[in-house]
Amino acid sequence: MSELLAKVAEILGAPETLVQRSAEARAEASGNTVEEVLQSWAGGEAIAASAPAAETSVVEETPVEEVKEEVVVEETPVEEVKEEVVVEEAPVETMEKVIEEESVELKKESSLIFIAGVLGVAMFTYFFAFAIPKNQSADLVAESLNNEIAVSQEVLKGAQVYNDLNCQSCHTQNVRLLIPDSQNGKILKNKFADEVIIKNTGLLRLGPDLSTSATREPTNNEKWLTRYLTDSASVRDTIPHPNYDFLSTSDLDYLLTYLLSLGEVNE
Amino acid sequence: MKIKLIPNNEQDLSKVFIFLLPLVVLLSASINFLKDAFRSFSNVLPGNQVLNYGFLDKLSNQISFNFLFSFILVVTVVYLLSKSLGRSIIIFPLFFLTGLGLIGIEFIDVVLAFISPEQLLDLGNTSVLLLIKILLVGAFLGLILLNFLAKKEPSIFLSSQFLLGAVVFYLISLLIYRSEYTVMSDNFFINSMYLSTHIYVGCSFVFLSIFYFLITKGMQATLFSKTLGTISFWGYLFLLPWTGFKYFYGTTLPDWIENVSIYLSLSLIIPLLALIVNYSKTIATKENKEPVFSVLISFAFVVFGLTNVLQIISSISNVTPIVSLTNFEYSVRYGYMYSLILILIPFVYHLVPKIYGREFIYGRLETFNAYLLGTSVVATLSLNTLIGINSGFSWNAGANAGNPTIYGEGFLITWSLISTPYTFILFLSLLFLLSTFLFTLSTLKAIIGGSVTESETVSEISGDNDE
Repeated sequence: MSELLAKVAEILGAPETLVQRSAEARAEASGNTVEEVLQSWAGGEAIAASAPAAETSVVEETPVEEVKEEVVVEETPVEEVKEEVVVEEAPVETMEKVIEEESVELKKESSLIFIAGVLGVAMFTYFFAFAIPKNQSADLVAESLNNEIAVSQEVLKGAQVYNDLNCQSCHTQNVRLLIPDSQNGKILKNKFADEVIIKNTGLLRLGPDLSTSATREPTNNEKWLTRYLTDSASVRDTIPHPNYDFLSTSDLDYLLTYLLSLGEVNE
Repeated sequence: MKIKLIPNNEQDLSKVFIFLLPLVVLLSASINFLKDAFRSFSNVLPGNQVLNYGFLDKLSNQISFNFLFSFILVVTVVYLLSKSLGRSIIIFPLFFLTGLGLIGIEFIDVVLAFISPEQLLDLGNTSVLLLIKILLVGAFLGLILLNFLAKKEPSIFLSSQFLLGAVVFYLISLLIYRSEYTVMSDNFFINSMYLSTHIYVGCSFVFLSIFYFLITKGMQATLFSKTLGTISFWGYLFLLPWTGFKYFYGTTLPDWIENVSIYLSLSLIIPLLALIVNYSKTIATKENKEPVFSVLISFAFVVFGLTNVLQIISSISNVTPIVSLTNFEYSVRYGYMYSLILILIPFVYHLVPKIYGREFIYGRLETFNAYLLGTSVVATLSLNTLIGINSGFSWNAGANAGNPTIYGEGFLITWSLISTPYTFILFLSLLFLLSTFLFTLSTLKAIIGGSVTESETVSEISGDNDE
């Protein structure tokens, strides 16, 4: 074996360790022994790329396809002979090819597994962070004894005007559940409402919270509110507030009705 | 310079997009500046149905987070998908039409806003427009999945991983946006989930996709560790969608979901650390020595990192109640968006020679602009954070004093604490607008008048990734 190895190394002009490693890799891939591989490189018989035993068993099990399989078996050595011709003609290059194949072999990542993983996380998030807790909340409200505040059509129209003007981008209507807050205001926890009223609770508090604005001075005063909404600088010039003098009289009236309804308590 | 309106392949399409991208960014920055101006001086400036803070705020959100975002997403997918999968895009005509439809539908939303201002956002939410949008994003996702299955590269590069994540969560966010409002807590459920899936995941994943491309291919460096990249991918994918709830702490959301949000936000430290190590080790091997290019990427990375740090800080038990329902969340929202805009700039600069075959020269203008952009963005985020903390403290002080809302004259105290930072933000917004204008100028100058260089072919686009 060692003599054969030395001989092949001499033919190929490569170190023995390198030849040994390459022969082992080829032997593993082809299903032959290392010695057979070395013999073929030393000028012996060509070797098949895959183990012949498997081919035989397939042929035996499916005699109808026998001819086809035989063709495949026949084709394979032809390819290998071609390869071996290259080995014999330019042995050094072939060795390099073998070594290269070994070093650049990358782990194949499956797209299918990756896609399944991403979709899995997305579904998990959708159900566990959104759909399930949202339904849980709705069920809690449904079981509550005190879950409705009746509002008039005028108030609803006013709520729509409030929403269209995007007042909720600065004003919240949500007293927070912090202990000091909860002692002073209504907690909007169990309350069914129209979609637009729900949206008007707001998400960011830049200006004052309006959840109880109709219960305090001066925002419970209709005249003051009308003046403030149409010409805010004439009332308070230090705090910027948009002027809604472009609103129609009816829209302004609806808006005032809605603002004057805020703070109604239905305990 | 020749731009085909009906492109034959991803390179032609990238040409059209790279030409239009700076203009869309400029539009977004202009509306943002106008909005900030009307916030600080609404009682002085002449107002009408369009020129008022309420409408401009909605319009700004629509343009920045919907139109600009979808535009960037499609541009990035068109160029980077084939690049990172090692093949040209399959069924390209359908891909082109879907992408165009997606951008088009977002643009129609903006146009309709001017025709019917009071219906803005509701148009997308309740009408058939949202359904079309969902179908288009679904089709876009389907085409991306087909390309994934037909990939030629043995590994799945990080850029394409993040792109897939962004599109999946874009679709999820649209489904969430369609939900019904039945109880008070739905306002917080729907909006916090929409915020975190659409903006937090969407913007940050597109950012990370471009980021990984630029720190490897753009900087001619070798990725330090794919494993660390994978940790940041799965980490952000799992954690980010849950992080929005904590900004509504103390509202009508269930307590458990607020707590889960807090703990998962704290865990953001893991993908962030993986990202920091990967970035610092990767750029140590860079061969592209262009300083302005590196500075722009660094600024984008700093803004992204800072945003993550803000997410973590806001999860600390003493801080969460203070920053709830305040401008602090704006820092996070805009942090993700700004980091995406910042990374776009070196991306466009990098693509001009490759796509158009025109040399891009980093002169004094580009150097000045890089620092102007970076500093204005970091300062804006810091001021929003300051406003959030100041107003949160004053709301809480008011509540402790027996006044839960600080209304009427009491609001003057809060306003005195936050009005000056708002004025500074307006000034910074103007600087940002100037920066985006200079960016547009630099890009168009290079595309139209740059000296001819060797451009990339389609086959080159669809392979050769250093990750």
